[in-house]
Amino acid sequence: MIRFREVSARYPGAATPALDRVSLDAPAQVLTAVVGPNGSGKSTLIRAMLARIPLAGGQVIVGGQDVHDLTRREAARRVAVVVQREEPAFPMRVRDYLALGRYPHAGAWGGGERDAAAVERAARDAEVAELLERGTDALSGGEWQRVRLARALAQETPAIALDEPTTFLDVGHEMAAFELLAQLARAGRAVFVVSHQLNLVARFAHHVVLLHRGRVVAAGAPDEVMRAAVLESVYEWPLVVARDPAVGAPTLIPLRRVGPPRS
Amino acid sequence: MSVFRFVRGFTNRLRVPVRAGGAPAWPRRAVGIGVAALSVACGSRVVDDTSSRRDDFGNPVPLGGRPTRIISLIPTTTELLFALGAGGRLVGRTHWDFYPDSARLVPDLGNGIRPNVEVLLGARPDLVVLYASADNREAARAIRAAGVPVLALRVDLIAEFVRATETLGLVIGAEDRARAVIDSVTRSLASVAAATAGLPRPSVFFLAYQNPLLTIGGWSYLSQLVTIAGGRNVFADLPAPSPQVAFEEVLRRNPDHLVVSPATAAELRRPGRWQALPAVREGRLLIMDTTLVGRPGVRLGEAARSLARLLHPGTVR
Amino acid sequence: MRRLAWLPLAALCLAAAVVAVAVGPVRLSLGEVWGALAGNADATVTAIVREVRLPRVALALLVGAALGMSGAVLQGTLRNALAEPYLLGVSGGAAVGAVVMVSAGATAPAAVSLAAFGGAVTAVALVLGIARAAGARGDPRVLLMAGVVIGAFANAAILVLLANAPGDTVRGALWWMMGSVGAAEWNDAAWLAGALLVAGAPLVHWSRDLDALALGHDSAAALGVEADAASRRLFLAASLLAAASVASAGLVGFVGLIVPHIARRLVGVRHRAVLAVAAIAGAALLVLADLAARTARAPAELPLGAVTALLGVPFFLTLLRRAR
Repeated sequence: MIRFREVSARYPGAATPALDRVSLDAPAQVLTAVVGPNGSGKSTLIRAMLARIPLAGGQVIVGGQDVHDLTRREAARRVAVVVQREEPAFPMRVRDYLALGRYPHAGAWGGGERDAAAVERAARDAEVAELLERGTDALSGGEWQRVRLARALAQETPAIALDEPTTFLDVGHEMAAFELLAQLARAGRAVFVVSHQLNLVARFAHHVVLLHRGRVVAAGAPDEVMRAAVLESVYEWPLVVARDPAVGAPTLIPLRRVGPPRS
Repeated sequence: MSVFRFVRGFTNRLRVPVRAGGAPAWPRRAVGIGVAALSVACGSRVVDDTSSRRDDFGNPVPLGGRPTRIISLIPTTTELLFALGAGGRLVGRTHWDFYPDSARLVPDLGNGIRPNVEVLLGARPDLVVLYASADNREAARAIRAAGVPVLALRVDLIAEFVRATETLGLVIGAEDRARAVIDSVTRSLASVAAATAGLPRPSVFFLAYQNPLLTIGGWSYLSQLVTIAGGRNVFADLPAPSPQVAFEEVLRRNPDHLVVSPATAAELRRPGRWQALPAVREGRLLIMDTTLVGRPGVRLGEAARSLARLLHPGTVR
Repeated sequence: MRRLAWLPLAALCLAAAVVAVAVGPVRLSLGEVWGALAGNADATVTAIVREVRLPRVALALLVGAALGMSGAVLQGTLRNALAEPYLLGVSGGAAVGAVVMVSAGATAPAAVSLAAFGGAVTAVALVLGIARAAGARGDPRVLLMAGVVIGAFANAAILVLLANAPGDTVRGALWWMMGSVGAAEWNDAAWLAGALLVAGAPLVHWSRDLDALALGHDSAAALGVEADAASRRLFLAASLLAAASVASAGLVGFVGLIVPHIARRLVGVRHRAVLAVAAIAGAALLVLADLAARTARAPAELPLGAVTALLGVPFFLTLLRRAR
């Protein structure tokens, strides 16, 4: 559904490329996660998908077509993107904000019944139904994050890409968000998540891609990628990977760097 | 355009209430008498207290010397100084002084309002004649502080011109010639007034400036000249030299003639809101000779006569 | 209620226009005004109503609408509630054009208007050019910066031109810069109506893009909007509207700043509604401001820009209070 083929990109004036011949696939019914340290190029992948950064090489293919051959509108009907940070210039009602998600589909006058139904469904799925009449400037960080997810859901696309969707969420909401993403994947969508939450990714993702300095250094099932040696060299921090049977997925535990705690 | 530049540039901040014997509404028969009475009244004041005479800034008039390096920063006084035989003693004039022709040979020292004091002092004057507007107070102070005598004069009204002539004559030691000039001006004005005394009075509107819409009010020599010339300024009731008026009001007052400069006349003939005025539609535009009417001066009499000829063609020679 | 908020506003606008035609420095009875409109009053009254007041009110309505819309578009595109129509160098460029014309002695209003429009368009083109040279063709921050640069240059140019100019030039230039619909004639209104159609109609069509752009360029792209291109289009149209307004009426500030706020308060953030309401509210506001300008100190006229600037005071006070 979403494919990166030898994608290279460089920000103007940068010494090193942001992405260096990155290839990865995010097919339907799979929750694909991209992980890596800060500056590894994870967000650049999202911008490349939005055609917001010129490519030095390679292709980004969405729904079988190169992103650069599609109009923004057509692309927006294939993949819904939740960017890392968003701040509306003027506060609006959450309901109106969710309705914005229908723009790629809406006709010249917008606001039909299908659109209203999509908004309601999305609000329910993201658990923000009780926030519909609130203003966007009256939400907590976590509520705002969920509302943004709801807007992407309202877009009703076969693929959905998210950049750090759990930043302000507490443990409960984090888990709920990833449960929802897993459910969306099961229901047939291609779900593409960029996240630095290694443990959550290990629990929920079917396919993990590890990025380091713009290159793919490991890709595969969580068990294969979550190896202490590789992760230590990429994150430059001592850690152990444990496996708790109750959890059923590798868990990353970073270690303290120097000596016993001072008393 | 020099008329209006002169009037506005030198009079635009004067909002003085009407003095007795001053501007508006000259009764028909008393016109000629009025002019004469005015100059006499001013004249008697001169004769009475020369010692405590003050200029229009309220400062004592610099008497007793015989200035030989005079800077004149008013077109009126530049022309006047030539008429008083002191043209050779001029060492500076403003950028806008062109009369008489020989004035062009006098060095151009820039603006008459907010002049460059340094440039003035550089010409080493022993007398500076300035227009008495609030804008010039600083310059006057600075020049006086540098030890050069200053004479600040207002010349908006005919009476002020007369007084200015006398004062100037006194200061430069040419009282007799000053008196001669005044007599000549007064006589020619009186003769024009007499020639138009019994004639019907057409009303006129002075179009001084379009954006904003400015006209000549009652507190101006131009308005007085029109009265002497046998006309009536529709805005003579406004006691200011160049007040702003609403176009609607001009429509309401419906002047018989418009007095304009040649350039403005061409503009008015094009389609536009001015066509709403009957005077414009019917081409009743009086085009002034700005060289004559542009400032109050020694040729006031001729100016009045030229206006009278425009207002009463065929009747006045 | 939100849907119908524009109804009382439109009524207010109409009422303001009617009052503005009926009231002026010359006292006319309602009967005379009606007679003049119907064509059976005396020539002077008819001239006053038809040749002086009507074109003036028409121009005020059009300028107010243009500025209101332009301001709403710029605030949405720049994601800044303090943006206003003259931001991209429009006012500076127009003023330079007008002052150059007035200095050259051309007092015919048509010449000054044309020069002002030319100056404004040149300034906007320069701003867009600078942004392109900097490699960021639709980025609001770069455009803003370029606008400030051009504006500063224009201000310096004006000061130089006026420093040694004769009295009438300074007066004429200042009067133009203070804004006025006083010299309004029917063809001024016609030109501006044309500009409103040419630039304003597309703006209403592009209002959906504005809604998305208000979330930021990346988010707008995610919603299917070609963010940079849409941004540029919107800037251009809004600046053309502003340029046409400035050419007709000089610099009338604050309307483009205040009116979008009022519109958003009334109908929310959906820009299609905001643009329409901003147009109506702007028209009403400017007609009333012009009425005040020509009656407060009759027969003299206050500059329109002065009256609208006075409006800025209560507006900013309210903003301040709400921000706390």
